[in-house]
Amino acid sequence: MDVQEAVAGSAHAASADDNGDGKRDGQRKFTMGPTDSLEGKLVYDGHVHLDGRVEGEFRVTGNLDVASGANAKILIEAANVTVKGTVEGSVAARDKLTLGKNAKLNGDIVVRRLQIDDGASLNGHVRMGDFEQHGSGG
Amino acid sequence: MTLSSTGPAAKNRTSTPAGNGSDGGRSSVVLGPRDRLVGQLYVEGDVRVVGTVEGELEVTGSVEIDEGGRVTGPVTARDRLVVGRAGSMKGDVRVARLIVQDGATFIGNVSMGKAALEAPPKPVEKAPEAVQPPELVQPVEAVKLSEAVKALQPLKAAQPVKAEQPAKPVQSGKAAKLPDPKAKRR
Repeated sequence: MDVQEAVAGSAHAASADDNGDGKRDGQRKFTMGPTDSLEGKLVYDGHVHLDGRVEGEFRVTGNLDVASGANAKILIEAANVTVKGTVEGSVAARDKLTLGKNAKLNGDIVVRRLQIDDGASLNGHVRMGDFEQHGSGG
Repeated sequence: MTLSSTGPAAKNRTSTPAGNGSDGGRSSVVLGPRDRLVGQLYVEGDVRVVGTVEGELEVTGSVEIDEGGRVTGPVTARDRLVVGRAGSMKGDVRVARLIVQDGATFIGNVSMGKAALEAPPKPVEKAPEAVQPPELVQPVEAVKLSEAVKALQPLKAAQPVKAEQPAKPVQSGKAAKLPDPKAKRR
């Protein structure tokens, strides 16, 4: 499978293997900072924390968070997805999607569980129940 | 205040608990766990659904669905829609604010923000559909529904959007009549 860990911008984005930070549940964690940017496709076995400017496709075995200052044009597939920033694109959460109070999500979502906090903004179609993998051309 | 509900007569009850009714022109409507609404409901105020709604909800305040409440159909709430952990919402929603608690069921399109609310869905549009002689299995129910929808139409008159008037049939009869007398004279 096409695996790419493309990191452009500053060197804040790092997998936990490198510096040991961000280990959670014994899983690796890929962490970006607010000044980082990433463009491309990431298939990652672990958790991912997105911040800064992000564009592309993310398939993650663990959880994926989008930080409050982040601006992302992405396709997401992860176990639990938490959005606090701005996301444009579709989200598939195998378990739960949480939209925080300042989250903005424009796109369709497929989830098993959904939580939307007061103040969040959502425009798109919501489907709950059986999880189906995204059939993307990439 | 405008409140209306339609549905199977025996089962349909819209309860407005004493002391929780009109509040300075705003309504507070509660559909209890054994209540069921089939049709359209327009409320200037708030609605709390603990029972079942099959149809359209349009509310100037907020809609709350919880404790086993189920809504199937489009919902417009000028303030907010809250789907509690034991609530179920299936249908398209247009709201200013949306709160979905973990555990809730939610399926449908979501449109949020001012733009979504400026062009509210027109429940009236459904009227012609219902009026059509139904080839359904239960024609009696369908006719009832159409009558109910008709009865509701005056309530929507205050809306800026006018009901779609059926296009007048082209009066070809008049045009056809004119040449006729001439032809007969000859």
